[in-house]
Amino acid sequence: MKTMENRRLALLYTMLALPAFIWMVPTLWMVSLSLQPNALLARTTSNTFWGLIPYPLTLDNYVNLLAHGQVHVWFFNSLVVALGMTIGVLVLSTTAGYAFARLNFVGKKTLLVLVLLGLMIPEQAVFIPLYTLFSELGWHNSHHGLIIPRLAVPIGVFIMIQFFRGVTRDVEEAARIDGANTFQIFWHVMLPLARPAMMTVAILTFLYAWNDYLWPLVSAQRTEHFTITLGLASLQSNFAQSEGLGSVMASGVIASMPVVILFLIFQRYVVRAVAVGGSKG
Amino acid sequence: MFEQFKTDLRWAGVRQNLVAWVFLLPFVFVYVAFLIYPFGRGVWISLHDWNLLAVTFNPDAKTFIGLDNYLRLFWGTEMTWRAWARPVLQGLCVLAAVFFVWRYRIGELRWSTLWQCLMVLLLLMFLFGWAPGEGGRWFDRRFWPTVGNTVFFVAMVVPAITIISLLLATALNRETRGAAFLRTLFFLSQVLSVTVVTLIWQMMFSARQGLVANVVREFGGVPLSWLAEPGFAMAAIVIATVWWSIGIAMVLFLAGLQDIPQEMQEAAKLDRANSVQAFWYIILPNLKRTITLVVILQIILHFQVFGQAHLMTQGGPNDQTQVLVRYIYQTAFRDSDLGIASAMAVFLFVIMAVFSAVQFMVSREDEQ
Amino acid sequence: MVNYKDKKAEKVTTMQKTFISMIAATALSAGAVMPAFGTEVTLARFFGSCQDAGTDVSAAVGEACIIQSIINAFDAENDDFDVTTLPTDWGNYYDQIIASYASGNPPDVHVMHRHRIPEYGQIGALADLTDDLMAHGIDPDDWTDSAREAVTWNDRILGVPMDLHANLWHVNMDLMEAAGLVENGQPILPSSPEEMMEHAEMVREATGQYYLAADFSEFEIGVRMVLAFLWQQDSNIFANGTATINTPEARNALELITGLFDGGYANSRTNYADSQQSFLNGEAAVLVNGTWVVDFYAEQAADEDVELTHYYVADFPTLYDEPATWADTHLWAIPASVKRDNPEVYEGALQLLAFINDHNIDWARTGHAAVRESVLNSDEYAALPHRSEYDNTVNIARDTPASARYGAIQDILNREFQAIWLTGKSIDAALSDAEEDVQSQLDR
Repeated sequence: MKTMENRRLALLYTMLALPAFIWMVPTLWMVSLSLQPNALLARTTSNTFWGLIPYPLTLDNYVNLLAHGQVHVWFFNSLVVALGMTIGVLVLSTTAGYAFARLNFVGKKTLLVLVLLGLMIPEQAVFIPLYTLFSELGWHNSHHGLIIPRLAVPIGVFIMIQFFRGVTRDVEEAARIDGANTFQIFWHVMLPLARPAMMTVAILTFLYAWNDYLWPLVSAQRTEHFTITLGLASLQSNFAQSEGLGSVMASGVIASMPVVILFLIFQRYVVRAVAVGGSKG
Repeated sequence: MFEQFKTDLRWAGVRQNLVAWVFLLPFVFVYVAFLIYPFGRGVWISLHDWNLLAVTFNPDAKTFIGLDNYLRLFWGTEMTWRAWARPVLQGLCVLAAVFFVWRYRIGELRWSTLWQCLMVLLLLMFLFGWAPGEGGRWFDRRFWPTVGNTVFFVAMVVPAITIISLLLATALNRETRGAAFLRTLFFLSQVLSVTVVTLIWQMMFSARQGLVANVVREFGGVPLSWLAEPGFAMAAIVIATVWWSIGIAMVLFLAGLQDIPQEMQEAAKLDRANSVQAFWYIILPNLKRTITLVVILQIILHFQVFGQAHLMTQGGPNDQTQVLVRYIYQTAFRDSDLGIASAMAVFLFVIMAVFSAVQFMVSREDEQ
Repeated sequence: MVNYKDKKAEKVTTMQKTFISMIAATALSAGAVMPAFGTEVTLARFFGSCQDAGTDVSAAVGEACIIQSIINAFDAENDDFDVTTLPTDWGNYYDQIIASYASGNPPDVHVMHRHRIPEYGQIGALADLTDDLMAHGIDPDDWTDSAREAVTWNDRILGVPMDLHANLWHVNMDLMEAAGLVENGQPILPSSPEEMMEHAEMVREATGQYYLAADFSEFEIGVRMVLAFLWQQDSNIFANGTATINTPEARNALELITGLFDGGYANSRTNYADSQQSFLNGEAAVLVNGTWVVDFYAEQAADEDVELTHYYVADFPTLYDEPATWADTHLWAIPASVKRDNPEVYEGALQLLAFINDHNIDWARTGHAAVRESVLNSDEYAALPHRSEYDNTVNIARDTPASARYGAIQDILNREFQAIWLTGKSIDAALSDAEEDVQSQLDR
């Protein structure tokens, strides 16, 4: 029985090996091209094993990008925006989620439905009026201009509502008997409990922020305020070929590095975040 | 004594309300100011002839024109009604109707819901019957084809992603290191940003430098310029999108598979069912809800496609990959026509809202 | 992956801690921006990026590096001003410029085309430079008539012109020689549509390569070819607010080009980069592209690793009655808001424009035609590589009538023409659709 199981597993892996390899090829190719000299790539992209093996090997593309270029500025912008957005969403969604799940107030049902309806409004349906609004406020080309629109999206609130509803009343009652007020209960009791749910919200938000394209494209018109996603799009434009394919690919690798590392480290959270966010969204 | 108690109670009530609002206020303020208000403002802009640059330099340069922008998009000259004026859109309506009837027949849908759905579809069928007749033309010749392209894109991407990720999830739903590694591998592309994905695939499909071309050349073929070749440009975007986004669907299916009781699968094994039979009779029926969820989520997500078309093909060749959000962006920021762009955004919202409503209905029926 | 080992995941591992501290470190180091001296002047441009341009203008090659080295040199010479360059990709450039004006935050100085002047001029977005030029050492009377016209709107000067750029025929002399199309060291170019097809056949027979390459599937290079053929027949796409695209002249022009594709003398599928690469690889005798790449191709031709060796530049040939080729002008403009609100920055921007104006000869090294008479008549200019080969281009330069809807109109033409040569739409249908669409743009 055991050997049969093993044999089936082996068969499965052999069957999946080829698709898995093909799946990885585009990424490998990008990494490989980024390690080859620009002059070579101008002539051929399939030097060694269809270009999948970086030979001749060079790190020049990375050195140049980091030494000159604005990649580090974009990287910094992305980091500030993504972290700012994550923190902002966490604050707003935990407080509001707690209120909706655990506190009583007049008009709760109506407000909840109103917020629920907000889930139907896609970013693309409001980016034009938001753009004119931010123009009037003078908020374009700034970090907060990139952060704030996403704070209004209620998905985080919903994940937190679902979580807080699941926490038993006992914990809260015990704390209240000890003389804790609502704020203390929220801060000392609920938030520590909510760490997994907060992680879910944080990861969803961070990934979204790091990869967002449309809003930065219209809000950040100055390259110094570009996020890495936007900067990369400007690099890959055809007229920017003066810098060479290797450099463009290297910028792609650099832009992807943080999210890939983040994913590999927090993989379990990411996967759960997607599962939770997906089924609740 | 009793009066005192009542006052206390009232005070407690007020206090509780106050406390609740302290918690709510930050979010509600941001929500109203940056989602609800902009949305209303978008509708308002869509009722104006509003040139972005002109209005910036002279706020009075806008004129209220009522529903003209919508008319410009949806209507044309010499409009006549024929039963099958637009077979693709109308065909989709018929397909949807068949789907709903099927769900009703297998007891997944209530009679009243079915009835409502069919009424809406019938109305759509009727509206789609209007098209420019002899000598007429659409006011905006690009709008409906753009909607069509977007629908086509969704119709290609969603089934592909659903099927591939379902098969992968089923195969990789086990607690071995190998499976974990492969799961990571297939999910990894999901975390890349749209610019990286398009950068990679733009190069992959390049006729001169692309990997696909290099391989084709190796085997003596003549490489195609995928991104400029009619038919292939859309295929290229679909392939890139599928590669990019099977991860989320796969994870949702994995979560769904975890919920299938272990005993069921064991029972199937004892009955000597082979894996195909197990997949067909155990896994599929139990994943029905997840599949519906994944499909609707993907439809909502991919209807908003922008980056792939904007960066890989610029909507070409001949608008074959022009999609709705890119058209909105171009109308607003290249042509400065905020009014029409906003009208299209409202149209996009309506479509998204319909699918969200369907999703809501499906999950509600499910719970009952 | 899902819920397998949740317990373990709850703990923050050392690796996660390391990562978080790494993020913090990056944030701190990147936050420590270099202190800026002097007034900051922000500059937006396309032309691509050149990361190690330096300040040595004479050593730079190619549009991106030449313009960036000029800017860098100004920056290095002037302690009062700090120029921050914001290079944007060509594809989104005007979208982003519009967005920046509309957000009230335009760059202090930016490059643009002559054809965009109506769009910005009619709403008063650009600063009137007329009375400030001489004081900064910019002499408008030194500019060519066409350059002065390019920057003038309602008799006011709204910008500083930098060049005249036009479509050229870049020629691979080896392929032409093999086809017997070289005489006295000059390529024999066609003088009629029929002759062009004959030449194309001769090149294919002798070399098996394409006669002509161009970007037919991405930017507007193909449209500009069609426009040249239209003007050569004394036709145009619109006049006095009426679109005139569905004409026999347009049909002639398009049939000529589709004839090249049908005969296998050109490939309609090539985009900008591919068409350029195929020319450099010796796969096409002629490349239709602008003046902006002359120095780059000359450099490539000198490179032993590049297939192209004998490179020649020719004026766009006259196949019909009147000589004409598409042309435009790059110019620098300053937003009206800068002049109004920020005199110090305005001063810096003007000084920078004067510096760029002084380096007109360096910009002309790219292959563009200079705009200053004093430069055009200099020996240095005449001695620029290949310059004498296409010196008639400035005389035959044309563009479509001015319109605030130029961008949208070009897009319509590009889309409909691509529909003909990429997706097989009939010429008649495309022309009638294009005419209606252009008309509706003109009516707006």
